[in-house]
Amino acid sequence: MARALINLPRTARRGEVIEIRTLIQHVMETGYRPGADGVVVPRDIITRFTCLYNNEEIFAAELAPAIAANPFLSFSTVATESGILAFTWTGDNGFEQTETRSLTVT
Amino acid sequence: MRRRALLGAALLAAPALAQAAPKVVVIGGGFGGATAARALHRLGVAVTLVERDATYLSCPFSNAVIAGLREMEAQRFGYDGLRREGIAVVLQAARTVEARQVVLADGATLPFDRLVMAPGIALRPDAIPGLDTEVMPHAWRAGPQTLLLRRQLEAMEDGGLVVLSAPANPYRCPPGPYERASLIAHHLKTRKPRSKLILLDAKDTFSKQKLFEEAWAALYPGLLEWVPLSSGGKVVEVDAAARVVRTEFGEHQAAVANIIPPQSAGRIAQAAGLTDRSGWCPVDPVSFESRQRAGVHLIGDAIIAGAMPKSAFAANAQARVCAEAVAALLRGEAPAPPKLINTCYSLVEPGYGISIAGVYQPANGLLADVPGAGGVSALGAPAATRAAEAGYAEDWFRTVTADAFG
Amino acid sequence: MRICVGLSLLVALPAAAAPPPGASSCAGCHGGGGMPVLAGQPAEAIAGTMLAYKAGRGSPTVMDRIARGFTEEEIRAIAAWVSAPR
Repeated sequence: MARALINLPRTARRGEVIEIRTLIQHVMETGYRPGADGVVVPRDIITRFTCLYNNEEIFAAELAPAIAANPFLSFSTVATESGILAFTWTGDNGFEQTETRSLTVT
Repeated sequence: MRRRALLGAALLAAPALAQAAPKVVVIGGGFGGATAARALHRLGVAVTLVERDATYLSCPFSNAVIAGLREMEAQRFGYDGLRREGIAVVLQAARTVEARQVVLADGATLPFDRLVMAPGIALRPDAIPGLDTEVMPHAWRAGPQTLLLRRQLEAMEDGGLVVLSAPANPYRCPPGPYERASLIAHHLKTRKPRSKLILLDAKDTFSKQKLFEEAWAALYPGLLEWVPLSSGGKVVEVDAAARVVRTEFGEHQAAVANIIPPQSAGRIAQAAGLTDRSGWCPVDPVSFESRQRAGVHLIGDAIIAGAMPKSAFAANAQARVCAEAVAALLRGEAPAPPKLINTCYSLVEPGYGISIAGVYQPANGLLADVPGAGGVSALGAPAATRAAEAGYAEDWFRTVTADAFG
Repeated sequence: MRICVGLSLLVALPAAAAPPPGASSCAGCHGGGGMPVLAGQPAEAIAGTMLAYKAGRGSPTVMDRIARGFTEEEIRAIAAWVSAPR
């Protein structure tokens, strides 16, 4: 399990725009870089990130080798109803990790 | 000979020609400026040093003042040594730089053939919303801020949380926040052992990192916690009155907060149009002449020096090279490509010193590391080596302050 | 007229022997504050010590890291310059 950091408010008013920040600790190895032994290090990156809000996709991103290690993503959404936000990172070598946070809308 | 005379004549604008000896004005009386003034004077140049304050307070060793290991007066240096040598010292702020003259705060002007500026840094507390430096001191310029942070630490109850934040690169004194964290941790360990220090960092790597981490594991386990960028270490805002520090992913309730904000070249460099979009000053690495304004040279923390860090040692070394280059240009000669050295010591507790050194040369328009040279103290070195380096730090301080201030 | 004044200006600033590359940085430490003072020491001894450090001999704390940044020719030039009393 990689360490994932997520920041969003625990509560929000209905209709409020909330900011969500995520960061996952990942090497984002490009696949172009020779290692100490001169052999190219195989690519190992996060390729896709999604955020589901009560099972509806509200944000997704495709990640490429040019993106730096420990990718940080920040986006916003409208707080419509109380529920669960699920954050999923998928990538090379079968990488997949999902984290969830609850949001209470008043 | 005839060619040189023509060159010399072409070099100088009309107002300067009334004087027989070439005039150089130096703005800024820190390690760079004071060293440059003395070096130029020794080279036969008529030098005027412009400095806002009557005395200079040294940043090197000011972390020891914060931790209660040293008194502020040991940091204070004056300009009598320069005056005795015949250097004119004008105690005024420089307002701006016009064509071939410096305009002082009172409106008076100082003409120059060449200008050397060592303007240091400007702090940008506005880059961190909510920051009030009278409540959360930066202490990144030695003076009242240093003493404010010291008093806050002394007044803090045992068990309090100290939050220190380090900015992203580039900034003055790359190992400085980590030396400061170490010496504050020493203060807490010896006086307030139930307290804790969190060092929030806007980056994932830092100068002398392995040496600091080795020392922290041995000396301050459970007391000092470093939070890098990738663990949510970047401070995005503070609530100064409530002493709350917020990062991208959480918040900390501090008893004492020391927020070191992002920085840029000193105000006068900005006023004179010498900074680029980065906020720092691009210079030629041979002559230290501004890339934005002919006849104006810049040294020290304000410049984009490539691999060379923003340190007092670097400013002192650049000042001497710059003085030689200015003298050569005034003679109508081209300055020779230099090599420069930097050595920087940090204390992790009294009697425990570590160092980084580098050798630099011009390459691709910047100062680059000479390959194969430089590096940090050995990991796992015996206590005697650490004690020796702590001693060398003090030797260096005595030498460089005498070299700069006489 | 301009040329005359320019000439007098050039004459007013005699060229002293400029330090060889790297030499002016030494004064930051070696000026009497506790570390060895170099002025007045034999140039050959300074160069020999620096060359030994460059080659990995001796047990300096920092001078080996610095010596590796210079060629033998540069080290000999620096030693000659810093050894001169001034």
